[in-house]
Amino acid sequence: MNAPARPDQSPLLDIAALTLRLPAPKHGKGRELLHGVDLTVAEGETVGLVGESGSGKSLTARSVLGLLPPRADVSGTVRLDRTDVLTAGRAQLKRLRLSAAAMIFQDPRAGINPMRTIGDHLTESLRLGEGRPRAEARARALELLEAVRLPDGEHHLRQYPHEFSGGMLQRVMIAGALAGSPRLLVCDEPTTALDVTTQAQILDVLAEQRDRRGMGMLFITHDLTLASAFCDRVYVMKEGAVVEQGTASRVLRRPEHPYTQWLVAATPTIEVNGDEPGSDGSGERGSGERGSGERGSGAPAPVLEVHDLAKTYQVRGRGPVRAVAGATIAVPAGEALGVVGESGSGKSTLARMIVGLEQPDSGSVSIAGVAQTGTPRTRAERLTHARLIQLVFQDPYLSLDPRISVGRAVEDALRLHHPGLGTTEARSQVLGLLGQVGLVDAHAQALPRTLSGGQRQRVAIARALAIEPAVLVMDEATSALDVSVQAQVLDVVSAIRRDRGLTVLFISHNLGVVRTVCERTVVMRSGEIVESGRTVDLLTDPHHPYTRLLLDSVPRAEPDRVA
Amino acid sequence: MSAPTPTLALKVMRSTVRRPARVGFTIAVVVLAVMALAAVFAPFIAPYDPDQVDFSAVYASPSPAHWLGADALGRDTLSRMIYGARTALLGPLLVVIASTLLGIVLGLVAGWRGGWLDATLARIFDVLFAFPSLLIAIMAVALFGKGLVAPVIAMSIAYSPFVARLTRQLVATERSRPYVSAYRVQGFSGAWIAVRRVLPNVAPTVGAQSTLNFGYVLAELAALSFLGLGVQAPLADWGAMINEAQAGIAGGYFLPAIVPAVAVVIAVVAVNVIGEELSDRIGGRTPA
Repeated sequence: MNAPARPDQSPLLDIAALTLRLPAPKHGKGRELLHGVDLTVAEGETVGLVGESGSGKSLTARSVLGLLPPRADVSGTVRLDRTDVLTAGRAQLKRLRLSAAAMIFQDPRAGINPMRTIGDHLTESLRLGEGRPRAEARARALELLEAVRLPDGEHHLRQYPHEFSGGMLQRVMIAGALAGSPRLLVCDEPTTALDVTTQAQILDVLAEQRDRRGMGMLFITHDLTLASAFCDRVYVMKEGAVVEQGTASRVLRRPEHPYTQWLVAATPTIEVNGDEPGSDGSGERGSGERGSGERGSGAPAPVLEVHDLAKTYQVRGRGPVRAVAGATIAVPAGEALGVVGESGSGKSTLARMIVGLEQPDSGSVSIAGVAQTGTPRTRAERLTHARLIQLVFQDPYLSLDPRISVGRAVEDALRLHHPGLGTTEARSQVLGLLGQVGLVDAHAQALPRTLSGGQRQRVAIARALAIEPAVLVMDEATSALDVSVQAQVLDVVSAIRRDRGLTVLFISHNLGVVRTVCERTVVMRSGEIVESGRTVDLLTDPHHPYTRLLLDSVPRAEPDRVA
Repeated sequence: MSAPTPTLALKVMRSTVRRPARVGFTIAVVVLAVMALAAVFAPFIAPYDPDQVDFSAVYASPSPAHWLGADALGRDTLSRMIYGARTALLGPLLVVIASTLLGIVLGLVAGWRGGWLDATLARIFDVLFAFPSLLIAIMAVALFGKGLVAPVIAMSIAYSPFVARLTRQLVATERSRPYVSAYRVQGFSGAWIAVRRVLPNVAPTVGAQSTLNFGYVLAELAALSFLGLGVQAPLADWGAMINEAQAGIAGGYFLPAIVPAVAVVIAVVAVNVIGEELSDRIGGRTPA
C-alpha cells in the first residue's frame, strides 16, 4: 500500500490561470479556448471536470501531460508534482509522463496498435521506458491485467485488439496507464463509448485501483451525474472557463452558478419524480391506470403493432447472429413507447424492420391497421408507406445529405408527398415546419455542415414531420447530442406530440431519457424483449434481473459519500 | 451506445495545419488555359500556315522570322506546334468525356444495384484492365485503319473501367450512408436517389480521376501518332511532329523534335498537377 496524502501543502496537480489561445489563421482572428482555468488535484483525490463539447475540458486535461496543440499561445502554469509542465524540457516531460501521470482516452481502439498484441502494448513502455528485462515486464503485465480484472492474463497477452470488446480494451488501456505507477491518472471520457453496465464495471476497476494505490484522478466527463457519483470534487466548465467548483454532492444538489443549475435540470435521471409523461393523470391522452407489465384492454387500438418479429443475420465465418427474436410490441395512438437496451441488443434492427429498411425473417408489422408486407414496389406503395411511418436517425451528421440545404431537404420531402404544391406555398410550409422545431428562416438556406448537431437533428425531425406520418420512430435520436441540446430536442419532441398527437417509438440506451419521454417501455437484451410495462413501474419495481442490473448500473449521486 | 463525440482538443489539433494553396496549381491552370486558347484560336495566333513549305528555311534556327526554327521542309515549328495543340488536346478531351460518361453509368449501376450485376461488371472490368489501353488502341487501328477516330473510340472504352471502378466504389460507400436510408424512408425511388442525390455527391471525386486520365490519354495518343498510327502527316500533331523530326536528329537538328516533345511533357505535367490538387481538395480521397 502506498502512503496516502503526504503532509505536503502543494497539491499533486496545480493548474493556475491556464489560458490558451490559438494563433490567428490566415482569415479571421485567433480564438481563446481556455480563459484562466484554475484547478487542483490533491494526492489521492478524485476530481471531476464536467462540461459540454467545446467547453475546453479535454484541452485542460491534455495540458497536464503537455499534449497541447502546436503553435498554441499558452500562459499560466500547470504544475504536476511541482514541475511546471508548460516550461518543462523534453527529458523532464518524459519523466513526468513515465511516472508521475498517465492518461486514458475515450476511444480505446484509437489508442492501440491493431497489428500488435495486447502483450506488446503492455510490456512496451516497461521495457523501453524503464528498461526492464522481457520476463519481468511480462510478469508485471500479468499483474496489471489481473488488477483491471481481466481474468485470463496469459491468454490475453497473446490476443490482438480486435478480439477484445470495447470494455475489455478500455481495461487494457487502464492497465497500460497503470504500468508506470502514476500518482495521477487523467481519464478523458473513459466510459462515454461504453454501455451502461460496462461503464459500471470500468468505474469499479478505476475506483479499486485508485483506492489501492492512493492515486489522484482527474476525471473528465460530460455527465454531471456520473461525475458526482464518482468524484470527491467537481469542476464545471463552460466555454473555456471554470464556472463552478465544489464537493461532488453539493454541486449536483445545490448548484450555485446558473449554468450548472441549468445543466442539472437538463440532465435526465432515472429517479421517478412525477414529471413523467402520463404519470400525473393530467395528460390529455388520459392513459389511465393499468396493471404493470400487462396490456390495457380498454386502451385505444394500437397504431403500431408488431407481432413475433425475428431477424437472424448470417455472418460469414461466424455462424448466424440472432439480432431480434420474437419481438411483440403494441403502441396505442398518441403514446410513446421506449425501447431500451445496450449495444447489440437488437433495438436498432427492430426499428429498421419496423420502418421497412430491413425485411424480417418472420413475424408481422402493422401500422394504423395496415399490414406491412415486403418492400414497396410502386410509387404509390412507397408514398403510402412513408406516410405511415418515419424515422429519425441517430447521427444527424450522417442522415442529412451534405450537399442539400436544409430548407431544400424539407421541401423535397414535402413536395414528394404533395405534388400539386406551388413553390411559394411549399416554401412557406417549409418555414412553418422549421419554425415548429425551433429553427428560424435563415437556417433554411444553410448546408447541414454549418449547423450544430442539435440543429441538424431538429431538421431531421422537421423533415419527418413534413410527411405527416402516423408513427415516428426515433433511433437513438439524441444520443450524439450534448445534454443541453438533447433537452432542447426532447422539448421539441414533446411539443410536437402535444400538438399532433403523434405516436412515437423511442429507441434509446439511456433510461433517463426514456423516462422523460415514454409512457411505456420495453427492455431488450440479445434480441429478446425481457420486460415491458409502464415506464414508471419499470423504474421503480423492475421484475427481470437484467432490468435491475441496468438500473443499478446507472450512476447516481450519493448524497453523503465519504471521500 | 452513445456515439463518441470528437473533442474540441482533437479538432483543434487537426485544424491547425492547413496546407497553403499550391503555386504549382495556379501555374498549371494558366499553362493549360494558354494551350487551350492557342488551340482554339490557332489561325489568329500562328505566324504561318502550318503546312506552308519554305525551302529557304529548311532546318532554320530560331530567329525573329521563325521563333522556334523550322523543320525539314521549312515549315514553321511554332505554327505547327500551335496547330498541333488542336489534335493533341481534342483527342484526350473526347476520350475523357466519353470514358467518363460510360464509366459513370456502368459504375453507378454496379455500385447501386450490387449483386450479380455488380459481380459481372467487375469481371468485365478486370478483363479490360488486363489489356493496356495503348494495345487496345493499336488493335483498333489494325482493325479500322489509321487516324484519330478508331483510337479515340478504343481508348474511351479502355479508360471507362478506371472511372467505373471508382464510381462503383464511391456509390457503394455512399449507398450505405444513413442519408440514403433517410431518402428511402421518405419514399423516394431508388433511381431518383441514385441519379439525383448520390451521383452529384460522388461526381467531384470522379471528375478528379478523369482529369488525371486526360494526362495519360494525351501522352498515349501522342505516342500513337508518333508511331504513325494516329494523326497522319501532313496534319500537324505533336506526336506526328516528333515522328517526322526523327530523321533530322541524326543530322543534328534536335529542335523540331524537342519542341513538340516538351509541349507534350508540359501538358501532361500540368494536367496531373491539376488533377492531384483537385483530388486533394475534395478530401484526400486520392483516385486510383
